[in-house]
Order: sequence, then structure tokens, then C-alpha cells
Amino acid sequence: MSALDILLVILRIAFGAFVPLSFVAVLVWMERRGAGYFQDRSGPNRCNVLGFRAGGLIQNIADAVKLIFKEDIVPGHIKHKLYFILAPTLVFITAILSFAMVPFADTLVLNGKEYIMQAIPADLGILWFLAVVGFGVYGIILAGWSSHNKYGVLGGLRAAAQVISYEIPMGLALVSLLTIYSTVNLSEMARFQGQLLFGFIPMWGVFLQPLGVIIFIVAAFAETNRTPFDLAEGESEIVAGFHVEYSSMKFALFFMGEYVAMFVSSALIVTLYFGSYQIPWFSTETLVNHSKPVVFLLMLAMPVAAYFFNIWMKKNNRSQYERPNDPRVFEAQVYAAVIWSIVIFIEIIFLGFLIFSSGAGGARILVALLQIACFLFKTFLMCFVYIWVRWTLPRFRYDQLQRLGWQRLLPLALLNIFITSAVVVSLA
Amino acid sequence: MSAKVKTIERKGRTFLEHLYLVEVFKGMAVTFGHFFRNLMDNRRLYVRHYPEVKPEIPARWRGRHRLTTHEDGTVKCVACFMCQTNCPSNCIMIEAGERTDGRSEKLPVRFDIDLLECIYCGYCVEACPMDAIRMDTGIFSVTSYDRESMMIGLEDLLTTPAGCSEEEYQKGGC
Repeated sequence: MSALDILLVILRIAFGAFVPLSFVAVLVWMERRGAGYFQDRSGPNRCNVLGFRAGGLIQNIADAVKLIFKEDIVPGHIKHKLYFILAPTLVFITAILSFAMVPFADTLVLNGKEYIMQAIPADLGILWFLAVVGFGVYGIILAGWSSHNKYGVLGGLRAAAQVISYEIPMGLALVSLLTIYSTVNLSEMARFQGQLLFGFIPMWGVFLQPLGVIIFIVAAFAETNRTPFDLAEGESEIVAGFHVEYSSMKFALFFMGEYVAMFVSSALIVTLYFGSYQIPWFSTETLVNHSKPVVFLLMLAMPVAAYFFNIWMKKNNRSQYERPNDPRVFEAQVYAAVIWSIVIFIEIIFLGFLIFSSGAGGARILVALLQIACFLFKTFLMCFVYIWVRWTLPRFRYDQLQRLGWQRLLPLALLNIFITSAVVVSLA
Repeated sequence: MSAKVKTIERKGRTFLEHLYLVEVFKGMAVTFGHFFRNLMDNRRLYVRHYPEVKPEIPARWRGRHRLTTHEDGTVKCVACFMCQTNCPSNCIMIEAGERTDGRSEKLPVRFDIDLLECIYCGYCVEACPMDAIRMDTGIFSVTSYDRESMMIGLEDLLTTPAGCSEEEYQKGGC
């Protein structure tokens, strides 16, 4: 193994482990501020370090400090302390592990060697995801059962029944997807979606499987226990469901597990149906061959984007009441300086690339970075949809949930398989 | 019995509504409209920036208590114990003393209100025959770091100014 191999292994594993974790912070922030904006209020925006609020992101630090320093209670009535402590770790570990097979950029070719851009470069793909995510619900059931609490058991039971009834439509939606892609490997699926349909539509799963994408997204919402399917938690009916007895970092693990699961299922929806890391109409080879015009366009686009972002920030990042020498105006000026210096830094790197780049290696790394950015952006948008749905739709009643799962989604998924197979066979 | 039968029109039975998805997207469009409007311009949030911008307190608001005085500065209270007797939460403690200014026979030498016990019902104000205790200070946020300072005495009650003018208070008709 050369030094480059080792470096890339470390980079990929770091990406697979730390990107979901840092997305937890972003998602909690997005959830709280987003909820505020959806409901015409402002959300947590007061926490600051030396007057710097970072748009409310500092609140996450305060939350983390609170959760770490809270008393870690194991209630006296709990008989199986091991299971009680094991449950949140199970939820968290499975949530993070399920990201391991998701590709975040096209296979990187450096010095004639291929590096598959997944945290674990194996071919299991979607099977790994199904296996690990299915295991995640064990943590919830275990938490509910070992809490020795009515609400906890109810929450755990609901989660179990829900996962059973929604894994089936999810699996069936995947079956019709697999007949199209004819592979379980997520990297190959992503490469398949780089083609064009009829020469002008990107061949994304969402265009090939319009019914399947709805079934899969609904089932993915149910899998991650998010509204409208958050019956396992159901704070208005069973207090907090499975994590009612948990406090401090054990609760935080559930909390982070939920958000990591949300990130991973968004990443998977993007990978399966929304073209993964593919930038529409620009395949990897096109980008590598035309790297210099692409870089030039980026150099033009970045200052424009930064300019409009600054206008938006100047308008919104100030106190909305009479205040002499508003410190938030100064804050916005500091942010603007930071943003412009980042833009200038990247421009210099791009300029260096334009002047000095000769081989394909630099271009390939650049394209990989672009694709990572595209993948993260798509995932971010999908996470936003999760939050958007949560603050729009009310929770389902339990019988409605089961009826939707078994009487609507299951027949629809079967119909989808039938249509897809018919089309695939007739085209073959 | 059969006179008032009201037939309610049931909604949500059409095919499109049974599909759910159309209605879900309609609802999501509504919430996204709010989100986008607020994101573009956060002045439009329906939010009062509270500690800096205080709410407007009307004259009828039952805030923290105060004791009123005559024009010459002597206390109106005659220590009749009406408020203390009426108080449902037993938060008023009065100690009467002899009065020498000739207005009446008694005056309070101690007048303590335990603000932790008080439920702000306003019965003391209604019971007072001398219009000596009022809740017109407009103080709505009674907070403290310890229990002791939540016990306010004669001094505090007499020095707290009114939150509204006399005419406004009379118009409010408490």
C-alpha cells in the first residue's frame, strides 16, 4: 500500500463517519430555525459567543453542553441495566454504519488506480443498508422494553409494528428499482444515473420510477420515525415513547441517532432516485475533459453568489428594533469579510489550477470535490424536505398508519413491480 | 327534540382528496410560502423581541401591587385587614400600629406580600374600602434569584409608581 492508498482510506472513512455527525448539528439547527420560520416565529437566535450568533448555530453548542453536564440517571426500577445502556448505542451505531455504503463521488482514478468513494468499498450496496437499518429498530424496541415503562413499551411496540409494515413496501419499491438498474451496488447505480434519457433528461431514478419514488420516500419517512409517522415517539399521546426514561447523553445518542438516520435516508433517497453525486447533464468524463472551462465558470459564479448572499445577510442580520450602534451590523460585516476571504482563497486555488494543471490527476480530484459538493447539496435539500414535511403534516393515527402501509403502499408497490418488469422485458 | 337537525356536509370524499398526495402538496406549498417569505425578510416574523421590546400593558392589567398615598404623602391604608381576610392564598401579612396624623386611628407598620404565594386574583384591590392597595403598576415580570427577595414590604409597596395615569385607571373601572 502506498502512502496515497492509506491517505485515501483515512479520508473516506473520515468522510463516512464525520459528515453524518456534523450534519447532526446542521440538521438540529435547520429543524429549529426552520420550524420557527415555517410558523412565523424566529426560533433560537439569542445564543452567542462574544456577540457572534452564527444565525443560531451557537445554540447547538449550548445544547451539547447542557446534555453532557446533565445528570445521567439510570432509574432504580430497571432490572437489565446492560440492555438499557446498550439500546441508545445500538440506535446510534446502526444509523452511522448505514452510511458506509453510500458513494459520495465517482470512482477516483489516480495514477492508474481506482478508488471507490465509499467509506467501505464493498459491493453490498443497498443490501447493507437494508440489513443495518432493519437492525436499528432493535435499539428502539430494546429501549422501550428495558425501560420497564408503559409508555416506553408502547413506543417500542409501535416502532416494531411500523417498521414491519413499512419495510415491505420499501423493499418492493427497491425490487422494481433493481430490475431497472440490474445491480445492488450503489456506485454502479449512481453511474447508471449519469446517462441521459431520450438525450436530454438525466436518467435519474425519479424519472424512471415516479411511483416507486413516492412509495420509497413515504416508507423512508416511516423508517426514520419522523412525522407524520413518529408514533413511536408521539409526545402528545405517549409522552416520549421509547426514550421516556433516558436522560443526558443516553438521550442525546437517541437524538443524534434520529438525525443521523434522517441524513442517511436522505442520502439514500438521493443516491437511488435523484442522481446521487451526478451533476445533471455533466457526466464525470465530460467534467474531467473540460475541467478548465468548468473552473473558469466557477470562478465567475462564486463572487456573484457571494454578492447576493451578502445582500441577503445584510438585510436580515440586524436587530429588528431601535438599537443604538447595532452590534449585529458589525457582526454581519465580519461575516461578509470571512465570506469574501474564503471566496478569494478559492479563487486563488482555481487560478493556480488554471495556470499549472497539466495532468488528469488534478482535474479528477477537482471533479470528485465538485461531485461531493453536489451530493451534499442534494442531501441537504432532501433533509430540508424532511423538516418541511414535519412542520406541515400532523401525525397519523395508528390504524391509519397500518392501513396506509398494507392497503395502499403494498398493492401500489406490487403494481409498480408489474409495470416495471413488463416495460423492462418488452424493451429488452 | 327533532327541531334542530343540522346536516353537516362531509368533506374529503372526492378521489383527489382520497389520494392524499395532492392535499399534502397543497399544505406543503402553504407552509413553504411562509418559510420563504420569512427567510427572505425576517422583519415579517410575528415576533416581539421581548427583553428589548416590552409589551404594552393596559390599565386593567393586574400587575404587581402597590400602596397608594394621600396628596400629602401619608399612607391611605388604615390597616383594616380586609385584604388580608379576603386573600385566597394568604399572602398578605399586616401589622397595625397607632396613627398620629389624625386621618384615622390605625396605620400599617408592617405590610408584607409574599409574591411567591400571590395568585394575582385582585381580590385585595376589590376588598379595600380606602382604595389603598392597587395592582396598576404594570409590572408583569416578577422574578428573583432567591425566595427572601420575593417578600416585599411596606417600603417597596409605597415607592412603586403607578403604571398608568389616574384617569386611565378610573376609566378602566377596576
